Amino acid sequence: MTRLRSIVRVSALAALALLLASCAPSHPNRIVVGSKNFTESFLLGEIVAQQIEAHTNLKVERRFYLAGTYICQQAILSGRIDLYPEYTGTSLTAILKQTASGAKEDVYQRVKGEYESRFGLTLGPAFGFNDTFAMEIRGEDARRLNIKTLSQATAFTPKWRAGFGYEFMERPDGYRGLAATYGLHFAETPRIMDLGLLARALKDHQIDLAAGNTTDGLIPALDLFVLEDDRHYFPPYEAVPIMRVQTIQQHPEVAQTLAALSGKISDEEMRSLNYAVDGQHRDATEVVHEFLRRKGLVQ
Amino acid sequence: MNVFRFIWHNHVQVLELTLEHLRLVGLSTLLAMVIGIPLGIVIAHRPRFNKPVLASANIIQTIPSLALFGFLLPVPWLGERSDRLAILALTLYALLPIIRNTYTGIRGVDPAVVEAGRGMGLTESQLLFQVELPLAVSVILSGVRVAIVISVGLATIAAAIGAGGLGEFIFRGLAMVDDRVILAGAIPAAILALVADFGVGWLERRLQPR
Amino acid sequence: MHAASIPVIEFRDVSYNVAGTQVLSGFNLQVQSGETLVLLGRSGSGKTTSLKLVNRLLSPTSGEICVKGVSNGQGDVIRLRRSIGYVIQDVGLFPHFTVARNIGLVPKIEGWSADRVRARTEELLQTVGLSAEIASRYPHQLSGGQRQRVGVARALAANPEILLMDEPFGALDPLTRDELQREFLLLQQRLHKTVVFVTHDLREAVRLGSRIALMEAGRLVTVLAPKEFLRSADPLASAYVRAFGEGLESAANRGTA
Repeated sequence: MTRLRSIVRVSALAALALLLASCAPSHPNRIVVGSKNFTESFLLGEIVAQQIEAHTNLKVERRFYLAGTYICQQAILSGRIDLYPEYTGTSLTAILKQTASGAKEDVYQRVKGEYESRFGLTLGPAFGFNDTFAMEIRGEDARRLNIKTLSQATAFTPKWRAGFGYEFMERPDGYRGLAATYGLHFAETPRIMDLGLLARALKDHQIDLAAGNTTDGLIPALDLFVLEDDRHYFPPYEAVPIMRVQTIQQHPEVAQTLAALSGKISDEEMRSLNYAVDGQHRDATEVVHEFLRRKGLVQ
Repeated sequence: MNVFRFIWHNHVQVLELTLEHLRLVGLSTLLAMVIGIPLGIVIAHRPRFNKPVLASANIIQTIPSLALFGFLLPVPWLGERSDRLAILALTLYALLPIIRNTYTGIRGVDPAVVEAGRGMGLTESQLLFQVELPLAVSVILSGVRVAIVISVGLATIAAAIGAGGLGEFIFRGLAMVDDRVILAGAIPAAILALVADFGVGWLERRLQPR
Repeated sequence: MHAASIPVIEFRDVSYNVAGTQVLSGFNLQVQSGETLVLLGRSGSGKTTSLKLVNRLLSPTSGEICVKGVSNGQGDVIRLRRSIGYVIQDVGLFPHFTVARNIGLVPKIEGWSADRVRARTEELLQTVGLSAEIASRYPHQLSGGQRQRVGVARALAANPEILLMDEPFGALDPLTRDELQREFLLLQQRLHKTVVFVTHDLREAVRLGSRIALMEAGRLVTVLAPKEFLRSADPLASAYVRAFGEGLESAANRGTA
């Protein structure tokens, strides 16, 4: 009976030890970089990861394809990831639950301030492009109807079918606000489609207007036209790295490395990076490496 | 690269996610035991309460897990950290097997043994800790085993709300349409469940009263 | 018989009812020191209930039970139970304890030293006729007779003055039952415990009891010494005697030969 008791005691201790070991997610000399589950996000994640690997002694762990803003936020709050690429507009509306408006510098500062005071997170310098919602139509329609702005398009939309992604339909800063601002009406309720299929559907005349992103790689490739947001409905969505303050304190070299990326990616450059992966099906790691070399950021 | 080489290649992350998974399962099972075993003891001694308690635990079990996660998301403090939320949800799901088995285990102790013990002058707590619990421990452990195996499975869904764990590989693999990634999450999770089932089962058998 | 001072156990006008059934009513009885008082009756006569009222496993609806002059309703019920040995038909040995640990439990929780407990256990095993090597076995390894002997040893462990026995030999085969009855008599001659013994078997009652209290439907019918019981004119008593047929006289002569 006493031998049995010691077996029980040992198993209980082992279980407790395992539990304690799993409690604190700490990675001493590793940086964990996260990303969301779409091409642009993990391209940015890969850019950050390769940059850190090239310029510091730190090992980088990639935790990509996290399914959405909330999940990334949870992961960085709990320390499971150290940084991930986000958009200022998304932070403002989806995480801080504020209405998005203002110039991009204001939005950046507001987000940075709130993140630092509330979450122990901070923003690195912006990557240099604005990935906001793009209302895309076929290039041929834009030329034929001679329209360049959304306001001009509202004359024709009652005859059009629209296709949007799920998040765009549901987000407060998405379709609802847009329709209200421009007085938009469509022939039928906009269809909700998978993001990856929207551009194709537009090209194939299944829909006439899609909500895409300004950095969509398929825009030049498929001859799509982005209508200008002349009423400035969409807030700025500057791409920035979100980082844990603790990580920066422990590894200041990370902040330095990210500073080197500041403003280095333009809208066009992001589009071509996206196209290389989505359109040409090239390997993301290679594409990023080539890009960094071309910009002189790595050897 | 086949699955096993992929797992080996990414073993650091597999290990990390496995530890996260263990934390979710471990903490919730522990919490469920701390709440459920005393509750089971109480209803075993006061059968008047057994129906409402068991019925409540039963109702919780019938709520689909993803739905429960969704219900709890807007709750303040809980919803702010999805691993907290996941641990609470997993605890709730672990309650029924633990409460029910504690109840059954204690009621299953030979009444003659309890009567003799009481007649001899054992206090209620001596009776509980020296007689009833040791005799019921095998049945109670069986409930814990069921709870752990359920939790390992449910914890994979917790990744959908950002609580981490091996489910993250599964969801990532689905998004990437990459089987190896899916299996890199599914295989360790299955192994975890099997090891827990086997390990606790062994303990159960060793502790069975003669 | 000893000259009776205060009775060791006394039932004063005790009634017990539960769930609308009157199990015991107007029960008055005294048990003297050193005697074996047998409660005889059929199922439902209230004999087991009376036994359980002594060690407070049950509480009377009215009336009181005095143990050594003190009402057992006041005071520490745990102390009361530890000073009374309790032997039941199913024995109720703790299956996860060895024989030694079963026997030594009450002394241990009473704070006896390990040595004292061990010595007492060896002594008791001898007293109930078991070999010392049984001490390390588990109940499931014992025969029915051995188990009940351990049950008696366990009840005697802390040297209580009083023993309550509820049909202790009822589940055993006739040969073993006869053995244990004989050994009980020898034990009583040595130890002079005050015993309340419940049975429905007149032969056992006549063999073991110094007095037989006949119970029926929750009431005490008569209390008589065995030989008087056999000659009694009381209708229920004589019905019992008739039902049990022959061999009672020799049993009354304590067939220990």
